[in-house]
Amino acid sequence: MIWEAIGFYSLAIFLIYFAYKTISATNPVHSALYLVLTMMGLAAIFYNLGAHFIAGVQMIVYAGAVMVLFVMVLMLFDLKAEIRAFTRGMFSGLVKVMAAGVLAGLVIGSAKNSVVVVETGAPGQMQAGVDVSRQLGILLYTKYLYAFELLGVLLLVVAVGVVAVSRMKGGTHAQR
Amino acid sequence: MPSAEAMLNIGLSHYLFLSAILFSMGLIAVLMRKNVIVMLMGIELMLNAVNLSFIAFASQNGNLNGHIMVFFVMTIAAAEAGVGLALAVAIYKKYHELNIRFFEHLRG
Repeated sequence: MIWEAIGFYSLAIFLIYFAYKTISATNPVHSALYLVLTMMGLAAIFYNLGAHFIAGVQMIVYAGAVMVLFVMVLMLFDLKAEIRAFTRGMFSGLVKVMAAGVLAGLVIGSAKNSVVVVETGAPGQMQAGVDVSRQLGILLYTKYLYAFELLGVLLLVVAVGVVAVSRMKGGTHAQR
Repeated sequence: MPSAEAMLNIGLSHYLFLSAILFSMGLIAVLMRKNVIVMLMGIELMLNAVNLSFIAFASQNGNLNGHIMVFFVMTIAAAEAGVGLALAVAIYKKYHELNIRFFEHLRG
């Protein structure tokens, strides 16, 4: 129990520190690299919670593919003018931080008062003794097969749309 | 103040607190920053915080539907990052700056 607590708190401190660095770093490239560390900490927490497959996918898809995409797009830009682009004005910034704090308080309060409902026998219930990744695969390709196929269609549409948007009036280095 | 035993006994609520903190950090990034790419990173942070609460509930209830939902959220997040970055490129092409205030000039 004590080791579980130590593991959780060290991971939580790691995550909160790097999430703070992500949103406060002035250079967007540093932000992206801190966000990679945050994603890796989240993968460790997912592993801790028994979601081994999701932890692997988190490492590959987020820390690998999505963040590499972010960094590559950042490298296309000349970021000298963008080093410091925070919101202007003390008052509006304070209001925004307070709004986020109120939201966090609401979420924490509702989490404290929430009732955990366990429906036994519902589909998707974990079976003891069978590998979690195996059960996840079986569930994904039986009950959620149509959703999975629709996701493939969505990715195709998005890929075509992204190409269409970024080809408007010549590539990144169009004349001014 | 919760007792030391409640602090040491890691349960669902600890993960939900962590998720709420990460979510509001992403929200602050979206509200406070003016750089489009950092705002997109804030959105990614919020999606990840929600994923954390899905996984926490799934492991608490012994139910795999939460894992499936996280899988779908990850796919949608990757697609959303692609579209957002394409829009950032579209802004940069026109104004050679990445500020969110140029989004309103993108029509047409």
